[in-house]
Amino acid sequence: MPQATKIKERIAAEFSAKAPAPRKAKFQADLAPAEDRLVRALKAELQMTSNTDFLSDALVLFRWAVSERKLGHRIVSESATGERRTLLFPRLERVAPDSALPRVDIRWTEKELESLAEFVSGQPAEPAEALIRAMRS
Amino acid sequence: MAVTIRRLEETDEVENFDCGDEPLNGYLKRHAWTNQQKISIGVTYVAVDESAPRAVLGYFTLATSSAPRDRFPKKLVRGLPPYDLPLVLLARLAVDKRFTGRGLGHAMLSEALKITLRFAEEVGCRCVVTDAYPDKVGWYARYGFVPLDEATETRTRKMFLDVRTVRRASGLT
Repeated sequence: MPQATKIKERIAAEFSAKAPAPRKAKFQADLAPAEDRLVRALKAELQMTSNTDFLSDALVLFRWAVSERKLGHRIVSESATGERRTLLFPRLERVAPDSALPRVDIRWTEKELESLAEFVSGQPAEPAEALIRAMRS
Repeated sequence: MAVTIRRLEETDEVENFDCGDEPLNGYLKRHAWTNQQKISIGVTYVAVDESAPRAVLGYFTLATSSAPRDRFPKKLVRGLPPYDLPLVLLARLAVDKRFTGRGLGHAMLSEALKITLRFAEEVGCRCVVTDAYPDKVGWYARYGFVPLDEATETRTRKMFLDVRTVRRASGLT
């Protein structure tokens, strides 16, 4: 065996002996009975026995969906006859880009512009309670 | 009722929508889809119930706009950047009168402001402006919108909300 290969193998063996095993995070979820039944039914349908495999696959699918919506792509299913259905999922809509909002012109009065200039050149107002509720719901 | 708020789709059922205001009903039925998909002058978001996900219970429309800096009073422009002020226009917000009193208006305004915040982060905007009917000025004022002009009985009033205030309300600094 060439010397270089031996050294590589020794380094690899030492590294693997010393490197700590990656920590596995535990995930616990409180499911409603209906959700629990759904998980069990899906696992049976997909011939899965482990919750870890189930969560891992669900995560891959969810991550893909998020990345598609982030790009502004819609997620569509198409039947054999060509009928299309678009996935509508509120949480995914939150990551979809909104930078495509179109532009319109507003007719301003002098008084409105004066008030607007005063507001934006001053300090921002403290948020109202209803606004805080709206933004944190 | 499990409400979802999402972009208007072509197959959404809008014909039965009735908020009690003909211009707002008519906009949703005749113009919202065209404006969104074909001529791109406003994006409409609809509130639907999961049990009937095509029936529109409420809607709002967003667009971007700007305020011309060269028309601001000279004494007030010193601290402002040397270009027009970018803003998000909350052009319309309406709830079907059969579903009022269930928090749909609050939920839609919440969503509109969250979209505005994301827009502010991605592209940049300084405030939200809406045109409120006189009888809705109080409702918007509860959220911190302030009128930009004196009250009159016959027309809508432009109201302003600073994006910095919205950001603070969301818990972001």
